[in-house]
Amino acid sequence: MQDRPTAVELLEAAAEFVEREIVPAIQGARQFQVRVVANVMRIAAREMHLEDPAVRAEVRALAELLGHEKPHLHSLDDLHAAAIKLNGELSERIRAGEADAGDFRARTLRVVRQAVEDKLRVANPRYLEADFAARGKATDQTN
Amino acid sequence: MEPGEIARRLEEFIRDNGGFDRVAIENFRRMAGGASREIWSFDAELTRGGKTARRGLVLRRDPGAHKIDTSRSAEFRVLRAAHLEGVPVPEVLWLGEDASALDAPFFVMERVAGETIARRLLRDEEYAPARKDMPAQLAEILARIHRIDPKRHKLDFLAAPGDNAALTEVRRYEDNLRKLALEPHPAFELTFRWLLGRIPKTPRTTLVHGDYRIGNVIFGPEGVRSVLDWELAHLGDPMEDIGWMCVRAWRFGNDHKPVGGLGTREEFFAAYAQASGVAVDPEAARFWEVFGNLRWGIITISQARTHIDGFVKSVELASIGRRTAETELELLNLIEGA
Repeated sequence: MQDRPTAVELLEAAAEFVEREIVPAIQGARQFQVRVVANVMRIAAREMHLEDPAVRAEVRALAELLGHEKPHLHSLDDLHAAAIKLNGELSERIRAGEADAGDFRARTLRVVRQAVEDKLRVANPRYLEADFAARGKATDQTN
Repeated sequence: MEPGEIARRLEEFIRDNGGFDRVAIENFRRMAGGASREIWSFDAELTRGGKTARRGLVLRRDPGAHKIDTSRSAEFRVLRAAHLEGVPVPEVLWLGEDASALDAPFFVMERVAGETIARRLLRDEEYAPARKDMPAQLAEILARIHRIDPKRHKLDFLAAPGDNAALTEVRRYEDNLRKLALEPHPAFELTFRWLLGRIPKTPRTTLVHGDYRIGNVIFGPEGVRSVLDWELAHLGDPMEDIGWMCVRAWRFGNDHKPVGGLGTREEFFAAYAQASGVAVDPEAARFWEVFGNLRWGIITISQARTHIDGFVKSVELASIGRRTAETELELLNLIEGA
């Protein structure tokens, strides 16, 4: 067990320094690249918070959609492997035309949209907020 | 290769290929934009027969990447044809096709003054007149691009679309996805099914720019000065360029104006129809807009792979890998209930 600050706190401290001290001190292409550096640190920090519950929910929803038993997985690596396997199976069923219409299409769209929204909560929460606003949906409550 | 070494070898190349006695390069620097392709700006002193001229020039060099059909020589020849047909483009000067001079294929073209950063176009007060005029300008220039005769300009070497340009493109990007994706993407699979059920006919085959959007044009307060980034040019359905112009990523947050964050689809289609004499079928345009968003999504995967596989190590390319989800969300919005 590591001492504080946590990994998230370390990344956020680094990102904040880059945004406040480095970005204003440089211009042009370099400034853009340094903004990107701060942004990827922010992404990594959000992922540490959000990935475990999100991928757990994704695996559960995919198993239910595909008619599998609820998996009992603990480590994040196992969950990621399961998510890839189940998304692969769903992709094959979509390619076979099973999600072209009807109940399975509606359920597939719900599960896929949820997973995509969870990716955006990590990668670009502002994009997701803008999308909710544009489609007249309530503000994202999960952050 | 170090910048100083590139500049030194470039001096020799221009001297030999341009027939100069002496070439001196100054202010050689990397320009913003182009994550996997290099763009260098420089000033050249060109001496021939005791007379010296100074020119502002640009070097395009591609040091290696996961390429979705890019070639410096094709881009060079398409740019030359566009220039001859009155499309506003930088004049291309010398082509280094065999890669030996700079360790990668490259060409040199004139430097056009102006701005390329899309966010400046959409936000800065200075560009308010450009924002007003550019939807019509972009439509007129696109109509001119689509009138270029590929045979006359010996561009028939470009990838031809076969009987159906839409089906060819969809299959091509499906192949790309299968080769490049490290994870399954059910949102993309749903989109492929949607597209395959709605393949439009190809009423005309023309030169297609392939990456026609804001971000790839040089502009001033008065509007478009030059159209850049021709490396994805091919023969196909001109509606592909129309749909690409409407892709969400090129709105840079200005989502209420679907065409490059600048205007409505209706005004853009009407201006194109007026300039080209060919009406835009909204159904076909919608197909190509959906395809465009999918294509950009697959390109984000390709750019991330360029970093992950170590072809070009770049934090910018790495970060683009996390933009795939943006296109997946937009695709779900477009295909759901449609």
